[in-house]
Amino acid sequence: METELFVRYGPALLYGFGITILCWLVGSIGGVIVGFLLACLNRWGPRFIGWVIYAYVEVIRGTPFMIQLFILYYGGPYIGLLLTPVQAGIISFIIYGSPYFAEIFRSGFNAIPKGQIEAARCVGLPESRILWRIILPQMLVPITAPLTNFFIILTKETAILSVVTVPELLFQTQTMAAETFTFVEPFLVLSLFYWLMVVVTGWIGARVEQRVTRHLKRA
Amino acid sequence: MSNEPMTTKADDAIITVRNLSKYFDDFEALRDITLDVKRSEVLCLIGPSGSGKSTLLRCLNFLEQYDGGEVHLDGELIGWKDISHNPRKPLSSEALRKQRQHIGMVFQHFHLWPHMSALDNVAEALMSVRKLTKKEAREKAMTALTKVHLEDKAQNYPANLSGGQQQRVAIARAIAMEPRVMLFDEPTSALDPELVGEVLSVMKDLAAEGMTMVVVTHEMGFAAHVADRVAFLDSGRLVTCVPPQEMFGREPDDARVRSFLQTYRERNVV
Repeated sequence: METELFVRYGPALLYGFGITILCWLVGSIGGVIVGFLLACLNRWGPRFIGWVIYAYVEVIRGTPFMIQLFILYYGGPYIGLLLTPVQAGIISFIIYGSPYFAEIFRSGFNAIPKGQIEAARCVGLPESRILWRIILPQMLVPITAPLTNFFIILTKETAILSVVTVPELLFQTQTMAAETFTFVEPFLVLSLFYWLMVVVTGWIGARVEQRVTRHLKRA
Repeated sequence: MSNEPMTTKADDAIITVRNLSKYFDDFEALRDITLDVKRSEVLCLIGPSGSGKSTLLRCLNFLEQYDGGEVHLDGELIGWKDISHNPRKPLSSEALRKQRQHIGMVFQHFHLWPHMSALDNVAEALMSVRKLTKKEAREKAMTALTKVHLEDKAQNYPANLSGGQQQRVAIARAIAMEPRVMLFDEPTSALDPELVGEVLSVMKDLAAEGMTMVVVTHEMGFAAHVADRVAFLDSGRLVTCVPPQEMFGREPDDARVRSFLQTYRERNVV
């Protein structure tokens, strides 16, 4: 292992790691928000919106992320949408993630027994309060694991952003490998960075799950 | 209070049901039900399963949209904004919410919110609907829990309560809102036999305090001893509505009532 190489490329790798985390966090949190709104619209909105959302989910889930990214980044300018690589990366991440998140939320909504919602209506709770106080806290129980899972999957999907020259981790690593003709070491370090993100995400997910299932433990 | 229990004075009634009908697609769940519930009265709805008892109860607070006829609470039409047009126009969810605050409901399967303590289950609507502060709401919730003898279980989650205790929390949740009437949908049917008594005893206390109650039940003992009147439904129709002495005391005239009650007589329930 040539440590001197990493001293030289360390800053670039760390910068790449930062860009990766930026795209991943903003993209997937944006995906969660859009996905949640889609799931809410699907549940409470008019029927034709449900059909539009259904089509959106099918198209996005049915095509590879890389193609969506290409279309947005290289096709965008044709309709006047000029994006920097990072912007394109984040937006395509939101577009790609939101249908999966929407489906996770949909299954979460369905997991709440109808009777509990009737009981809430019977004491006069407003619908917004029912969503906030009755549905959301409980749907965290069934959806935390799939949400964590998908966040983890997305950590590694960030590597695809390198194809539109987002200066993220893989892009920096490839640059380093090409310039120094070393391959094993840079990619081992790259893996370490992804592994770190996955471990932290998994740990946070486990803590959240512990917190939201507190009430299910019998004393 | 009227000395003539057999006559129905209109102004005496808190709930009036007129020519109520309800369809589930092509299935006629309720046909032409006309019924009054008087103030402070306990009315039990009995009948075979599928006879429409629960559907009738759920029409009273518009959990089921009835298709024909009218339900009034204190003179106010429940659920519909306009019945002169076809199709009928339902009330806004805001207006419906206001009506439902006056109608307490207790379900067969309790439907407590499992992620909240017993106390918070009761306090929730006091805060978000009655707009009490957290402290006031919790005090009031505690009073309601004391009424159902669960003050020492206030901090428990529903998972750590027995079925009977959960149902009593559900009753506390409803009475804390000080409703004008209470609806019970088979409140003891999901309970182990030894837990039925504690729930019925809380209901008896409520009745003694003058709460107007409509109770769908298979507990003929409760109907015989606590109800002021007992209504028998069969195939979506109201067969008869009489004081319990008449329902249980002598051989019923109607063959359907006779055969229904026979199954209980065989088990020495009434």
